[in-house]
Amino acid sequence: MTKHHLRKVVSALLAAAAFGTGLSLSVAAATDLTVARAVDADSLDPDKTSTTQSLQMTNLIFDTMLTMDKDGSLHPGLASEWSMSEDGKTYSFTIGDGLKCHDGSTFDAAAAKARVDRAIDPATINPDRSLWGPITGTSVEGKVLKVSLSEPYSPFFSFLTGIQAGFICPSSFATADFRPIGTGPFKFVSWTRNDTLQLQANADYKNFNPLVENPGKPHVDKLTFKVIPEAVARMASLRSGEADLVEPSLEETAELKSDGAFKVYAAELSGQQVLAAFSWKVKPFDNPEIRKAIGMAMNRDAYANIAFEGLVHTSNCPVAPNLFSTDEELCATWGAKYDPDGAKAILEKAGYTADEPLKIKLVAHKLSGWDQMHQIMQQDLAAINVQAEIETREVASHFDHMTSENKRTDGMPYVWTMGMSGVDPDYLNFLWKRPGFVNMGLNEQVDTMLDEQRRLSGDARAAKIHDIEKYLMENAYTVPLLSPGWNWLMASSAKVEGFKLGFMVSLLFNDVTLKQ
Amino acid sequence: MAGRVVMPFLILKRVLVACSTVIAVIVLSGMLIHVVPGDPVTAMMAQSVSATPEAMAEMRARLGLDLPVWQQVMLYLTKVLQGDLGTTIRGNESVLMLLLQRLPNTFALAVSGLALALAIGIPLGFMAAVNRGRIADTAVMFIAVLGVSIPAFWLGLIMIQLFALKLNWLPVAGSSWRNILLPALTLGLTYCALVARMTRSALVDVLEEDYIRTARAKGLREHEVLFVHALRPALISIVTVVGLVFAYLLGGQVIIENVFSWNGIGRLAVQAMLERDYPMIQGFIVVFATSVVIVSMLIDILYSFLDPRMRQK
Repeated sequence: MTKHHLRKVVSALLAAAAFGTGLSLSVAAATDLTVARAVDADSLDPDKTSTTQSLQMTNLIFDTMLTMDKDGSLHPGLASEWSMSEDGKTYSFTIGDGLKCHDGSTFDAAAAKARVDRAIDPATINPDRSLWGPITGTSVEGKVLKVSLSEPYSPFFSFLTGIQAGFICPSSFATADFRPIGTGPFKFVSWTRNDTLQLQANADYKNFNPLVENPGKPHVDKLTFKVIPEAVARMASLRSGEADLVEPSLEETAELKSDGAFKVYAAELSGQQVLAAFSWKVKPFDNPEIRKAIGMAMNRDAYANIAFEGLVHTSNCPVAPNLFSTDEELCATWGAKYDPDGAKAILEKAGYTADEPLKIKLVAHKLSGWDQMHQIMQQDLAAINVQAEIETREVASHFDHMTSENKRTDGMPYVWTMGMSGVDPDYLNFLWKRPGFVNMGLNEQVDTMLDEQRRLSGDARAAKIHDIEKYLMENAYTVPLLSPGWNWLMASSAKVEGFKLGFMVSLLFNDVTLKQ
Repeated sequence: MAGRVVMPFLILKRVLVACSTVIAVIVLSGMLIHVVPGDPVTAMMAQSVSATPEAMAEMRARLGLDLPVWQQVMLYLTKVLQGDLGTTIRGNESVLMLLLQRLPNTFALAVSGLALALAIGIPLGFMAAVNRGRIADTAVMFIAVLGVSIPAFWLGLIMIQLFALKLNWLPVAGSSWRNILLPALTLGLTYCALVARMTRSALVDVLEEDYIRTARAKGLREHEVLFVHALRPALISIVTVVGLVFAYLLGGQVIIENVFSWNGIGRLAVQAMLERDYPMIQGFIVVFATSVVIVSMLIDILYSFLDPRMRQK
């Protein structure tokens, strides 16, 4: 190749690159928003997925039957009115007028019925089927959808505000291939798995969510979600302007916070709770006093401020803040208070000294912030004569491992950590009612209380939930640590205004505008 | 004449070996789900908020885990031979379709990366061999050692910093045609070092052969000696490296695809591993192994064209 030819090839390559750059600038019009995320949705069918990343996307396409304000109060959604029968077994929802699906079809009580029927149909294999409660049948009376249950199920209203309960329009599942058609603020345009998801503002949108100010069509016309798994590349896309909003790495968030060109968003309404739990069937953790001592050694302020860069809060209850009945002050009176000296005295009394420490495993899964938290925790435990060996796994392997570990009644004792999220304290049922999540169920007394809270409502239910929390904490089955704990951070360029994180880390783009 | 008779037989033999290797890989891949410790269904549904016993039983039945192991493996083999790699656990999509959708991206990246590696590596190796022992040789080998030592991951991030952030010439991530430049350049720079070393080494060996000395003694011009008499025998070693690199690249440059968010099969495989989507992982192994086997077979056949002695063997 001659020098002349070589020069021509290089010039062509540079021209192509420059053209490409120019193209990207021209595409990024004022009302387009690009969001870079680490992980893609695994499905856009809310009945086929339970991951936060997927439900964050479906929540943009599908509305919920009811909505929830910051204080946990219920507000209208697709249903303008709702009620529960006296025996707590029949729920009625009056579907609002003039609701249109993205394909132009009407969303009415019949459509709502079809959606509920699909969610509970065993053939759907809905991973969140049990959250819909013990539904026995549905019927339509004019504009009213009636849902019958075999027994009272108080969390039902709260559940219907959650991102797991998106209301799909029947045309979505009219054919074998699922099409994401809803009534939500954004319409589905295209999806290349693991690459790009494109949504477009719903011009006919009417907002119900009290967390949103914009009453109608989102200000952003086009919403593009790009998957950029590598954190450094994701941050580069924000800094280069290729993305307007990204999931930042925890490590870079502190830097972003101090840079006026960027904004950082931490979810306040995540419904997420990070907990420590014990191998309470294995000695010496069968002794509540020893478990309590472990809780007393845990410096939760350090976990929040050092491991999580001060972006999360310590929490006192087994249920996340902001959810129904959660009373942080009340829980603080039941839980173990930070007292390493007192904890050490308990351990020494039990025969564990610096020369003969209690040897345990600290079983955890890998996650940003969590790794540092476990290292601090290990030091906390060392200070009270507990020698903890940290054992980490990927998330799925961790829970698989815990499923078998929690059956164990002998061998090395362990402390383990986990996170849980929801829009109602009923997730205590999922965790602690036997056999419980990864076999962490406790006993008949707890099972009974968990069943009872489902049959109560209002103050009576709140009191019952408090009883359960008190039992869990006074017997030190769990140590509440932090809230939130995963997928809770977002960062944007300073030109993005109005972005919010809702319940269960839902992404709210309705109010977003781009400052020029 | 002998060569003409031997060649079809040689090709047939290579194809038969390749087929049996692929079948062995399918069988081993079919057994993967049983080799992994723990219950795969529990692991797969661990993150599901309400994985009911019914849902887990259905999943076991869907994966055929309720059948005896030998029956499961035979079933998998039969399905794969019929072109059915199953469906993903998350999303319930055809594994084959997902792999086929991403294969062109991976293929495009592999070809671009390899082309750049050859375009840079062969001339460098050639220059080093011809100038053996001189500064040019040392400089090329220094660059080659550097290239082999620098992790592709780090190089990729440096590329992003330079071309996307500092110069703002190219986009950071994506799978459009202009997004291929950075990952291809990263791969090209990574593998050109290997190609340069191999080219130099092969050429240095050939240049010491008696027939090269004879060619020079006959008074042939140096470029004739190099390009006519030395290059072809040296190509055999180069083709081996090229084949191996290409097969590896076809397997999906997992790290590069992740760094640049290139939507190829490598990234798909990583995602499947994180999600424990066994049908997807099995499908990836089968496709990757088949690619390697096909490329190896083509190299074997190519050898025979490059070196007639191979046909006689």
